[in-house]
Amino acid sequence: MLVVENTPQVHNLVVCTLCSCYPWPVLGLPPVWYKSAPYRSRAVIDPRGVLREFGLELPQETEVRVWDSTAELRYLVLPERPAGTEHLNEEQLAALVTRDAMVGVARVSPSQKDASA
Amino acid sequence: MNGVHDMGGMHGMGPILAEKNEPVFHAPWEGRVLALRRAMAAWRKWNIDVTRHEVELVPPAEYLRLSYYERQFVAFLEMLVKSGLVTRAELESGIPAQGSAKATPTLTPEKAAVLVARGVPTRRDVLVTPRFRGGDHVRARNMHPVGHTRLPRYARGKLGVIDRDHGVFVFPDTNAHFLGEKPQHVYSVRFAARELWGQQASPRDSVFLDMWDDYLETA
Repeated sequence: MLVVENTPQVHNLVVCTLCSCYPWPVLGLPPVWYKSAPYRSRAVIDPRGVLREFGLELPQETEVRVWDSTAELRYLVLPERPAGTEHLNEEQLAALVTRDAMVGVARVSPSQKDASA
Repeated sequence: MNGVHDMGGMHGMGPILAEKNEPVFHAPWEGRVLALRRAMAAWRKWNIDVTRHEVELVPPAEYLRLSYYERQFVAFLEMLVKSGLVTRAELESGIPAQGSAKATPTLTPEKAAVLVARGVPTRRDVLVTPRFRGGDHVRARNMHPVGHTRLPRYARGKLGVIDRDHGVFVFPDTNAHFLGEKPQHVYSVRFAARELWGQQASPRDSVFLDMWDDYLETA
């Protein structure tokens, strides 16, 4: 398993265009949308459009790296630490991390865990 | 094969429908299909690449119409027949043919749990000389095999740079057809989004693909 880190300059997004490879041991079974034709077809050609659909608008200056899981390596995104969380400990930070953030279709919000993940 | 499963870059597939509070399975049979596929792998009648290819062989219109677990089930039945574990007549009747051999030893839930946890590694601890190193400029081969491949169409013929060497793995193109493991290096190859998609893509973006040695040539 490879962990790719999001930074203020770089945003990572994971997909499997050929089937539905996903980091099962860590994230469990993938959601239906991850295995669906709309996500698999567009994540590589229009990652910014895909992210917009998930409610994440990236600035033009951010570099987007898409990881197409074509072999037996599995990818996990290390989300960027949100601003205003300097006082939180590891456990509190972990509680903010969502599945979607580890696939790369969302950012970690400094307040509450997203109900969808 | 140039199948509909190879959908990177296609248009017209519609919006991404993310379900809030999605359950792991939408019906109990989905879990049964997953469990059957995982447990039956214990008989070693097929391998991961065979299972992927069998899903690719689902006819395109069907492939798009069926849900993920429906496709997995259709492919699973094909593998059962092709591997000789059951006959088509048995599948249709739901009854074992008289005098048909039973696979032994019996696969128990305990054994299945161990096998599933262990998985079937595809990394090989053999010495193979890598053809490329990090930083090398490469071109993905323009190849269109009718069988299984993990080289997506959208990358074929495109120029990239080796990002890193992942080590030696079984080669899916041969393994999916029981033609041997042909272990070789797999690299992470970085392709500029503009190399893949032209000027419509952001000059900053890139797509990384994991590629076997046989998919690449020096550029």
